[in-house]
Parts: sequence; structure tokens; C-alpha cells
Amino acid sequence: MSRLRAEHLYKVFGRRADQAVAQLEAGTDRDELRAQGATAAVIDASFEVEEGHIFVVMGLSGSGKSTLLRMLNGLLEPTSGRVLFDGDDLTALRPRELRQVRANKISMVFQHFALFPHRSVLENAAYGLEVQGVPRGERERRATEALELAGLKGWERSWPDELSGGMQQRVGLARALATDADLLLMDESFSALDPLIRRDMQDQLLQLQKSLRKTIVFITHDLNEAMRLGDRIAVMRDGRIVQTGTAEDILLRPATDYVASFIQDVDRSRVLTAGAIMRDGKVDAAALTDGDGRARPATVTTETPLAELFTPFATSGHALVVTDGSGTPVGVVDRERLLAALAEEPRVESYAQGGTGSGVCARA
Amino acid sequence: MPEFHPGNWAETAVNWLQTNLSWLFDLINTVLTGLYDGINMVLGGAEPLLLAGIFAVIAFWLRGLIAGVVAFVGFVLIDSFGLWGDAMSTLSLVLAAAVITIFFAVPTGILAARTKAVSAAVRPVLDVMQTMPAFVYLIPGVMFFSVGTTPGLLATIIFSMPPGVRMTELGIRQVDTELVEAADAFGTSPRQTLARVQFPLALPTIMAGINQVIMLALSMVVIAGMAGAPGLGERVYAAVTQVQIGLGVESGIAVVILAMYLDRMTGALNVHVSPLGRRAAAKAAAMMGRMQFVRYKPGTVVALSGVLALTLAAGGMNMISSGSGEQAQGGTNVGKGKQLKMGYIPWDEGIATSYLWKEALEERGYKPGLTQLDPGPLYTSLSQGRTDFQTDAWLPTTHQQYWDKYGSKMEKLGAWYGPTSLELSVPSYVKGVNSLDDLKGKGKKFHGKIIGIESSAGEMKILKDKVLKAYGLQGEYKVVSSSTSSMLSELKRSIQQKEPVVVTLWSPHWAYNKYGLTKLKDPKGAFGKGEKLYNVARKGFAEDEPTVAHWLRNFHLSEKQLTSLEAKIQGAPKGQEQQGVKQWLKAHPGFLDKMAPVPGQKKHGNDAGKSVSMAYFPWDEAIATTYLWDNILEDRGYKPKVEQLDPGPLFTAMSQGQVDFQTDAWLPTTHEQYWRKYKDRLTDVGSWYGPTSLELSVPSYVKGVNSLDDLKGKSKLFGGKITGIESSAGEMKILKQVLEDYGLDKEYKVVSSSTSSMLSAVDKSVKQHKPVLATTWSPHWVYNKYPMKKLEDPKGAWGKGDHIHVTAKKGFKKDFPELYGWLRNFKMSEKDLGSLEAAIQKGGKGKEKESARKWLDAHPGLEDKLAPVK
Repeated sequence: MSRLRAEHLYKVFGRRADQAVAQLEAGTDRDELRAQGATAAVIDASFEVEEGHIFVVMGLSGSGKSTLLRMLNGLLEPTSGRVLFDGDDLTALRPRELRQVRANKISMVFQHFALFPHRSVLENAAYGLEVQGVPRGERERRATEALELAGLKGWERSWPDELSGGMQQRVGLARALATDADLLLMDESFSALDPLIRRDMQDQLLQLQKSLRKTIVFITHDLNEAMRLGDRIAVMRDGRIVQTGTAEDILLRPATDYVASFIQDVDRSRVLTAGAIMRDGKVDAAALTDGDGRARPATVTTETPLAELFTPFATSGHALVVTDGSGTPVGVVDRERLLAALAEEPRVESYAQGGTGSGVCARA
Repeated sequence: MPEFHPGNWAETAVNWLQTNLSWLFDLINTVLTGLYDGINMVLGGAEPLLLAGIFAVIAFWLRGLIAGVVAFVGFVLIDSFGLWGDAMSTLSLVLAAAVITIFFAVPTGILAARTKAVSAAVRPVLDVMQTMPAFVYLIPGVMFFSVGTTPGLLATIIFSMPPGVRMTELGIRQVDTELVEAADAFGTSPRQTLARVQFPLALPTIMAGINQVIMLALSMVVIAGMAGAPGLGERVYAAVTQVQIGLGVESGIAVVILAMYLDRMTGALNVHVSPLGRRAAAKAAAMMGRMQFVRYKPGTVVALSGVLALTLAAGGMNMISSGSGEQAQGGTNVGKGKQLKMGYIPWDEGIATSYLWKEALEERGYKPGLTQLDPGPLYTSLSQGRTDFQTDAWLPTTHQQYWDKYGSKMEKLGAWYGPTSLELSVPSYVKGVNSLDDLKGKGKKFHGKIIGIESSAGEMKILKDKVLKAYGLQGEYKVVSSSTSSMLSELKRSIQQKEPVVVTLWSPHWAYNKYGLTKLKDPKGAFGKGEKLYNVARKGFAEDEPTVAHWLRNFHLSEKQLTSLEAKIQGAPKGQEQQGVKQWLKAHPGFLDKMAPVPGQKKHGNDAGKSVSMAYFPWDEAIATTYLWDNILEDRGYKPKVEQLDPGPLFTAMSQGQVDFQTDAWLPTTHEQYWRKYKDRLTDVGSWYGPTSLELSVPSYVKGVNSLDDLKGKSKLFGGKITGIESSAGEMKILKQVLEDYGLDKEYKVVSSSTSSMLSAVDKSVKQHKPVLATTWSPHWVYNKYPMKKLEDPKGAWGKGDHIHVTAKKGFKKDFPELYGWLRNFKMSEKDLGSLEAAIQKGGKGKEKESARKWLDAHPGLEDKLAPVK
């Protein structure tokens, strides 16, 4: 049972929004609508997010991903469609009830941190609790805990303008965590950070997620980030979700040319693993041995990224044996397969169906 | 183009509002003045040095040690200018205006920031408020609220409102939308978002707006001063209009000190009230590091306790000082602290007399307040009863427009100076220009310019409309309108450089004392007749304040007195007119007592308390003089009784000692019979008028008839009729003889009727401008009221005239030695008697005493002359 489900969400800005939805359903083009003065930001978006998963929505700017996110907590009211959270239809709630949900169950982390400059770090982290009406003592205790989780122990009395960007976003994260909301909406939360810090933050998020197991919707325009973080990834273009799937699905089986061109720049050698490209089946170890039996084939695990296969290949001319976590051989990778996987034009037919969710090295 | 005047509607609307919404204006007035008075009571009541200390502590708290010291010095400087009270009034005005402005501006700004429609609706209103000249809403302001604090406050509020609204709106709008969204995302309600996020973040901008509100309010004080709001603005306005450079500079500096203080303090307040400000201050402090002690600021608690301590001290001082406040001595304390509101136009004679009265009234225990106003607001205020009186009404010409408009709602309290004159003048070194005629052809010499005064002045209108035309000067000369002060400085400049100049002047004016000037003669009389300077009071003032009204009615200044008073005031330190008045009064001992005699004190006669009985028969001069003495004796503490009797009973009663005296014995002829009968038991006190005469008279417009001789052959002119009086009257008998002597008995018929019929015949004829021939006698008020001329009697046919005597009971001299002395010296001219009779006649039956009192009041000094007391 999924915790969050979006059903046929539409968001149209401008005049006659309702009519526009009907037109879109009938197949009218987005550009035609724009000529009428209506802008369709999100068109027929449906997806589900499992408890404890990170669901990444990826798309270029203007693709409607931020609009989609804001419909999930009601900051924007969908023109049509429903948002179900734990089975409750958020779109049917009255403003006051909706605010209750936002205060208690859903929190949000912003691209530019959105810290209140007139509040100290602690006061910022405690903001959500303050809105909930939690007494001062308790909210400061919980905010301090959240800050500690976010790695900001000792900075409680500082002011936002004294912190670096990364630290500020940690405050933003702590603010979101402090309310104990189950659903975390993250709107390009790491996009404004330097690459190194961004990577740290991604690591920290994954680290936290291991213990907290929140349900997270993460917006990004960075495919690498999406691949690293996402349990599932939705790719958006021009307001529509063009493909939803695991990182591997996206990478190996792009649904459209758009997705395919999008993933061109991804460093496949780091994203794909041996398990994703191996030839399945029982391995005839002898067949891989030299005639004299001296040269044992090298073994790698299914989790090993392709980038780490080059060294073994360089020392032995033979294929590599892929073992699972217990050391049992589960497949073989030869040079041909490796090169094909790295080739620019992925040919869908050439891969085996063996890829699983763990085919991405994100968990490494 | 068709003409379009929305101004007319505005005027109609204002009038409508004035009549229908007066309760609303009263409410607004109450709120505004209440707020102002409250603040002013606190600020104005405190000891200056202590209050300066409080201000300094506040500055110390907000900005640090140096600011505190500078603030203290600044406020002490204001006090040393003698402008403390004014400065506190101004501060109260600014604070009251700011409080109300902020009360409305901030919520409006918040609404505008949150609702586009409100923003769109408010914007043009703010534009109008900010750009419409403040004078425009000062006019209806004065009409609704009269002069004083309220219209000034209102104008200030309107003018300073826009930045408050705009900055609040801007501040809230410029709060990062992501922050608002963040608040929203955490479930904050809109109201909480405002309170927790938007307002605190907008606060620095809002505080900047409030700072501007206060500064704009301060910039309005002069305009508020024009509407009569007290304070530095009034001082500056007075200084500007009276060319008092010293006062202007000092008030200006005081305004600057206030402005800087308020600016710096509200600016610094931001640091204390807004978290962002606190944050910025903390950062700055961290950067500074050294010089800490200069930057040291006491904590809020310390500052508060300092302020509190000083406040308590101030309160204590007040208690002490109010206990031993100065008061006029018992005897001269006529006013008993009663408040009087005087207004004055900043013309020299207005300033001089107003301060003279202020001093006199204070001496007599009144509490007069003095407000400088322009004529329009002043008369409006008088007509609304908000100002009690003013001393500088130029009538009938200069202030005619105001008198026409409000005359029915005011009352004149006598003319104290006149006649004035309007004229053009040149410096005396300009030779060959002595009359307006001489100006012709000399346009080049004067650069074709006549230096005028305010274009609104009546004199300017007469100059342009009449004088220039009468002397054919239009085209050659251009009248430059500016202001009195500019005219005077132009005059001064020209005289210093010995340049020729023509200026628009009037008399009385101190310029004639100060410079050698030639008044240009006006042979054609184009400037018209001179005017008189009246005291004008609100309606009902004389009833409410009979004593002051009485003083005002008797007030009179000669040109010498006026100009010397003006000179003294000019010479006094600026802003201390009253010092000048005091010096002048010292140089004129006794003037104060004459000007404002303490009623019922010292003026009592020696025989005060004695009853005196007077009697009269209903002849006009008898009525007049009897009631005149009735009033005088009352003033002198006697207890006069008056009764009307016929001549016979009167003389009988007097001979029996039942009547003490009477004033109308015509001797030796008319009352001869009574005199002869009772003279042994009567006293002839003396004659006060004479000789009387009997005569025929005609209106003066009947030309060619000046003597009885001239009547011959003119019977047609008069319809062959002589209007007579009662046939029983002695005069009628003599008239027959007179007609015979002049051979008129055939030509004219004497119609006997009654005195009153004769008088109404005269009245009717004069009104219709017809000839009439009436039987009259002197003294009679008919000569005073109508332009009648007495026909000469070259043949002496009417016989010798009588003298009018005061006669008294026997022993009168012994019983009333003082009164006897007064009556013995009693004299009245025909003119005085005529005007007294006319006044009584006009007052109507049953009001003889009041009419005589009015007449007496209108003749200052007469009472003391008739009944002198040592």
C-alpha cells in the first residue's frame, strides 16, 4: 500500500482552467492552450510513492516539477485530479484542515533554504513546532535534536546569515525533520549548493533515510542526483510525466527519445553495475579457465560499478565472474558486454532482463 | 470652451457637510484635540531641564553616550531661546499626528499589501494626499474645525499619511515570497504569517516609513501654524510675516533640533523593535571591537528606570510649582483666571494692541491666549465663537468682505483708532514727487514699478481698480504684488542705495517713523476715505464678559501712542513682544488703569452708598441726561432712583425734598412759573447747556433757504405748510408772532399736531428727499439724526434762548457735596447731547438706561470728566 498517490493531476494557470483540462483530456496540444491564454503546468500526472522510498521527479526547468510538488501539500490547488495521502484526499480538505496536515504530516525543504533571517538557527528549526503550538521547552528540545541529526550541533544560537550555504540547508532540513512529519517534500533542495557540498548532503540524506525511513518526494533537474537518490524516478517534460521507473529502467530502457537524449551525459560507468550487464546463468568455471588452469578468472560482485571492471580486464584477457553477496557466481561479464553497455546508443535488445532495483550503485 | 468648475461643488459640499455632519466634526475635533492636549499636558507641564534630561536618557539608550549629550545640549538650547513651550507644543503636535497617522497608515498598508484591489484603490488617494497643496484642505479644515490645533493636525495627518502606507505596503510586499511560502508550507495561517514572518521582516521598512511620517509631520508645523496650531510653526510663521529675522532663525534652529532628534531616535528605534535591526546592530558591534565605551548603551531596563526617576522628579516639581503659582493680587484680579482667546493679524498695530491687551488682561487676572492668524481664518473663527475678540478690524473697506460675510455673527466693540489712510509713498529724497499727479511721466525713474503688498489686500484692489485709473497711471506703472515684508525690505534696500522707489503704504505705520518718507497726496480722493480700527468680538462676548467689553469700548490710542508702542515692540528682543509692552506701560503710568479700570474699586465716590432720587419730565434732553447721571451715579457707588413726573408735580415734590435733583429746568423763560413759585425751597445748581433756541428748520438739501427771510415766496415748495407741534406748546404761540414779523403769516399755514407727528413728517420727507418745514428747537437729536438746518433769525423774532439748569432741593449742597460739585461743573455740547439723545431714541422705550450706558461706554473718559474721583 503506497503512502502517497497522485491521480491524474492537472494544473492549469490562466483563464478557463477547467475548460482547459477537458480540452487536454480530449487531446488538445499544450501550445494550442497557450494561445488561448491558459498555461498547462502539469498535465495528467499520476504516480505512487511507497513508504520509506525516495521518489525523485526530474525534469528541466519549466517542466512543471515544482508545480507538481506544490500540489502535493496543497500550496497549489490542483485544477483537476486528487492527491491521496494515507488514503485521505488532500484536495478535498478545507483550508484549515489542510493547514493542519501541513503542520503535522508534511514538511518541505526549499531550493534557496527559505530560512527566516530574523530567527536564530534554533528558532528556525523550531518553527514548525511553534506553528503546531508545542510549548517552548519541548520544541527547543526537539529542534536541538533535529539540528543534531542534520549535523549542526553547537550552532543553535547562531544566525542564518552566519552559516555557509550547506549549513543553511542543513537548518532547512532540520526544520523539516523537527516536526516529525512522515512526508518530506524537497524542492531542488541541493541545487543551489557547490558540487562537493551537494554530494555531502546527498550522502547525509541517504544516511538519515536509512534510520528515519521517511517518505520523500525529491525534485531535481540533475539526473546524476536523481540516479543517486531515487528509489524511483519520474521524468517530466512539458508538464507530463514521460517515464517512471528505477534508475536502471531510465538508463537502460528510456521510454522516449527525450529521455534517451537526457541520459546521454550520465556517467554510465558509475551508475551501472556488473549485475546490470552480466550474462545470467550458471557459470561454467572451467570454460573460463586457461587450458593450464593457472589463471583463475577474476570475480566481482553484482554491486560493482562498471568503472571498477576495467582493472581486472586489463590484467586478464578473460571474462569476469559475477558473484552475489554470498560469493556464489551468478553470471559473467565479458569485454564485449562492457563496451556495449558503455556505448553511446544503448540498444535495448542487447541486455538481459536481469536488472533489479539494486542495479544502481546508489547504495554503495 | 465651456467652463467647468468642480470647485463650486466642493464649496457646496463643504457647506452641506458643515450643516449636516457637525456632530462628526465635533467628534473628530474632540479626539484630535484630546490627544494633543493630553500629550501637551505631559510634555508642556514638565520642568524643561528635567524633560531635556529624559530626552537625553532616551537618546543615550537608543544611540549611545554622545547622542545623549548632544540631545541634552540641543534641548537646553531650545529652552535658552525661550522657545521651550512652543517646542513642546510642536512636539506634541507631531507626536499626536504621528500616532494617528500610524494608527491608520500601517493597517492600510498591510491591507494594500495583501489585497490588490485595496492597493489599487489606495494608490490614487495617496497621490492626492501627497501632492494636493496643504493649503487646500486647510480651508475646509478651518471651516469645519475653526482655527487652532485641529485643522493643523488634520492637514499634518493627511500630508504625512502616504509614506506610512506606502512603506508598509512595500515592506510587506518585498518580503521574500519563498519565506512566505515556507511559512505556508508549515501550516501557518495567513494571520500568523503576517505576525511571525511578514511583519517582523517588513519592520525595518515600516520603521523607515514611520520615520518619514514624523519628518513630514514636522515639516508641516509651519502650515499648521498658519491655521493657528500653537508651537514653533506659529513662531516661524509670525517671524516670516513680521520680518523678524532673529525669531525666525531661533525658531528655525529649534525645529531643526527637534527634527534631528526625532529622526535619529526613530531611526535608532528600529534597532530595538525589529529583530533584523537587532541582528544588524549586533553585527556592527562585533565589527567595531574597540571604542566600546562610546558605543555603550544602557539596557532597556536601565534606561526605563532613568526615565522613570526623572519623570517622578518632574512630577514632584510640578506639584510644588503649581502650589505657589503667581496670581494677580486680589484687588485687581478681575478675571479670576478666566480664559480669553484673542486672535491677531500680523499687522504692526494688530500685534501692538493685541500684546497690549494680553498684558493688560493678565494684569487683571485673566488668562488670555494669543494666536496669530490670517484675516480669513480669524474672522471665520470669530464668527464661530472660537476666538473671543481681535483688535485690528479695518472697517469699512479693508475687511469689508469678511464683515459682509460674518458681520451678523460678530459685534463691534468700538473704534480705537482712526481715521487711517492708504497711500503711495516715496522716500523723501525723491524730489518733485509730492502727489499722485506727479507720478505721471516719471515711470522710467521708478522702473515702471509700484511695489505692492499681498495681492489679496484691499489696498491693492483699490490701487489697481481706482487709483491708477484716476491718475492715468495704468500702462506706465505696473503694480508688483508680493508681501508686506517684501515691500518693506525693498523699501529698506532702496533707501540704503538711495534709489527711487514707490511703495504701497498706509497710516499708521512705523515706516514713517523709521524712514523719511513722503506720502503722496491724493487730490482726487481716489483711495477713498480713511477707515477706523475696531475691536471686533464674537457675538455674545459683551454679554459674557461685560467688563472686558467695557474696557474695549473705551479703548483709544492716539497715533503717537500707537507708533511709540509699535516702536517699543520692534525694539524688544524678538519673540518677546510682551516685554516691549511692559516697558511701554512703564513709560505711560496710569495708562493701564485707564485702559482697564478695575470696576467698583477706587472709582467710588465719597458719598457712595447714598440714595439719590432723580425725576424728569419726558423731554428728550431730560430723559437723556437723567439716565446718563443714573449710570454715572451707579458707577460711583450711589443708589440712584429715577422717576418720571410732569413739570408741576416734579417741582412741587422737589420743593418738599422728595426729589433730590432734576436736570432739565429751562430758565429764565420756559419754567419761569415754577421757579418763581418754589425758588426759595430749591437750589439752582448751574446751567449745563445753553443757550437753547427755537427755530424753523428744513433739510439741508433744500437749497436757497437758509434764513426765515428766504421763506418768502417759497410756500409752494413746502405746500404752504409749516409742520408744528402741540398747539399748547409755548413755541407754537411764539411762532405766530415770528411769522408775522417776517410777513409769512399769509403765505404759510401752521399745522399743529404733536412732537412725534412732526418728527415722523421729517423722517418721511427726508427719506423721500422732499422739502419740509418743521418747527424744532435746540437741543434736539433731530439735528443729529437728520441733515436738518436751522433757519437763521436775523430779526431775533424768536427771542433769547433759555439755559438748561440742574435744579435741586434745598440743602442739596450739604447733603451731597460731591455730587453738587459734579453737577455744578456739568456741561454738554450740542453734539454730545444730540448723539446721546439719538442713541436713546434708537435704543427704544424702556431701554433708556442701557442705551445711555452704551453711549457712555462709547465715550471713554467722559465719566471721569463728569464725575472725577481722586
